[in-house]
Amino acid sequence: MSEGRKIRVLIAKPGLNSHDRGAKVVARALRDAGMEVIYTGLRQTPEQIVETAIQEDVDVIGISLLSGAHMAHIPRIMQLLKEKGLTDVLVIAGGTIPEEDIPKLKEIGVKEVFPSGTPLEKIVKFVLENAPKREK
Amino acid sequence: MEYIQKIDDMGGIIPTIEKGFIVREISDAAYRYQREIEEKKRIIVGVNEFVMEEEPVKIELFRVDPEVEKKQIERVNDIRKTRNNKKVKELLEELRRAAEKNENVMPYVLKAVKAYATLGEIIGTLKEVYGEYKPETII
Repeated sequence: MSEGRKIRVLIAKPGLNSHDRGAKVVARALRDAGMEVIYTGLRQTPEQIVETAIQEDVDVIGISLLSGAHMAHIPRIMQLLKEKGLTDVLVIAGGTIPEEDIPKLKEIGVKEVFPSGTPLEKIVKFVLENAPKREK
Repeated sequence: MEYIQKIDDMGGIIPTIEKGFIVREISDAAYRYQREIEEKKRIIVGVNEFVMEEEPVKIELFRVDPEVEKKQIERVNDIRKTRNNKKVKELLEELRRAAEKNENVMPYVLKAVKAYATLGEIIGTLKEVYGEYKPETII
């Protein structure tokens, strides 16, 4: 990645839950790994998240959820991304997501899900290896 | 005590919140804590030491039936049709005035609740007067 631009990551917090400790810890870890990280702040709608992703021209969207509403918000985000043509963006999710939901999320295009307790190193490595490569 | 002194020096808790100091301190601490666990500078039995090898017990999850959401929406719509809407409007207006005058809003909230104003309507009214706290999004 020495020649390309820095990987740009949007950490997104959809829905009503305001516990963003995990989201911020992951955001910091990605930033410390040399990426540019933008955090949406709390209580974002899927529309706002996708809009920010477009405005900020991000390569990666990390969705953080622990309210149990992941099966409501994430499919909506994926649908909007598709509608807006952001199909090359790497989407990952993390938080309190039951194991049985992970295959369903992957089916709709989430590349990886990192439940609570995932080592930061693992997330950083995954993003470094899977973020879309871009010129400029 | 060092913290309390720091907060006092910055002009008290409200300016400290407004400057994002508190939020930043918490997120600094959270990141430090997580790194300490991962670097084994902080040992938590079962997390980074003496971790169980076997698969954790399967726990059956409680899932809310989507029907519940539908029913709840219906109930709210029903109450909006059957309550005295004129009264609700008046009481919300009284609540707004109380908030504007910086009075104790609790009695007004109670009156509004008793007339079946919704939580959204009550909070919405207060938000129009007080605004809404937006924590810093700095990471």
